[in-house]
Amino acid sequence: MEKKKLIVGILVFGSLWGFAECVIGPLLRNANLPAGAIMTGVFAFGLMAASRMFYKVRGMALGMGLVAGAMRLFNPFGGCQLCSGIAIMAEGLLFELIWSRVPMALDEFSSLTNKISLGIVTSYGIYVLGYVITQVLTPMVSAAGFYFGNLVGILPQILASGLLAAVIGGVMAPVLFFLRDVDISRIRNQVYYPVAFGISAFCWYVVVSNSPWMAGI
Amino acid sequence: MRNIRALPILAIIVLMVGVGSSIYVNSQKNSSTSITINNEEYCVSQFSEMVEEKSIEADAGFPLDQLINKIGVASPETHEYTIIGSDGYQKTVTWENMQAGIITKGRESVFPDLPKAYRIKEIVEIKVEE
Repeated sequence: MEKKKLIVGILVFGSLWGFAECVIGPLLRNANLPAGAIMTGVFAFGLMAASRMFYKVRGMALGMGLVAGAMRLFNPFGGCQLCSGIAIMAEGLLFELIWSRVPMALDEFSSLTNKISLGIVTSYGIYVLGYVITQVLTPMVSAAGFYFGNLVGILPQILASGLLAAVIGGVMAPVLFFLRDVDISRIRNQVYYPVAFGISAFCWYVVVSNSPWMAGI
Repeated sequence: MRNIRALPILAIIVLMVGVGSSIYVNSQKNSSTSITINNEEYCVSQFSEMVEEKSIEADAGFPLDQLINKIGVASPETHEYTIIGSDGYQKTVTWENMQAGIITKGRESVFPDLPKAYRIKEIVEIKVEE
């Protein structure tokens, strides 16, 4: 597949993920729903796994995490979103690490049990480890500093809250496996690029224009 | 994946860890509506008699540094403070952070100089660390 097509793929999938984190995430939080686990299970895991099914290359999730994390971090009017930005980037890295052991052909995952298991392990792994990384890095880069006792104190809560992400991942995975038959490289460039740029531009436009409203300006 | 047969077992372990942790967290949940500060219990309603409310952006509450001073913690600037929520979520902050922070009537901490991770809900304890 062309390198340019992959980079644009990273941009569009990363933008969709960032859009979900910046627009849908706060709505879930306002509704008092467990936004972190839902965002990880549905959007983070869903979009990263979908991109692997579509493009069949390693490294895309890491790039998507950087794009989505940047959207969250540099959300111009949304205030400091440090924790979310770090968590998103960490999730991209963790997905790559976990799926580095998953063969590209995915033929070994023909059984429903294996697909569900892969979804559970990946979604729980990226949620829990992403949460831990955030709890370590956020205090380090803020004025308060990192305290190991705080991390130990909230570890049971992190492990518990990941359960929902694991269940969502387990439900999502078999559905996402249907996407592996889609061949992105067969989409004509005249269609692929305008659609990809259009979706990315829409996501960034909505996030930027929505930010003053979300910040209460 | 080399050990694909182990994947379902790993998934079961993951689910068991999640369920076990959920049971543990719920059993440890503190339903108290009072706040323990430096080993003494207070109700939020008492705070209004102790210090004046102040606002930080959209939030109003009681200045944490003034509460600590009122309670009589000696040399408050030499201590750190661990704020603990009813679910066990906790964060340790410095005296400088306390000087900028407030606790709302809804028992939530607000620190304008710190990330949102420091907004601790349903606070049940503020520990004065040595």
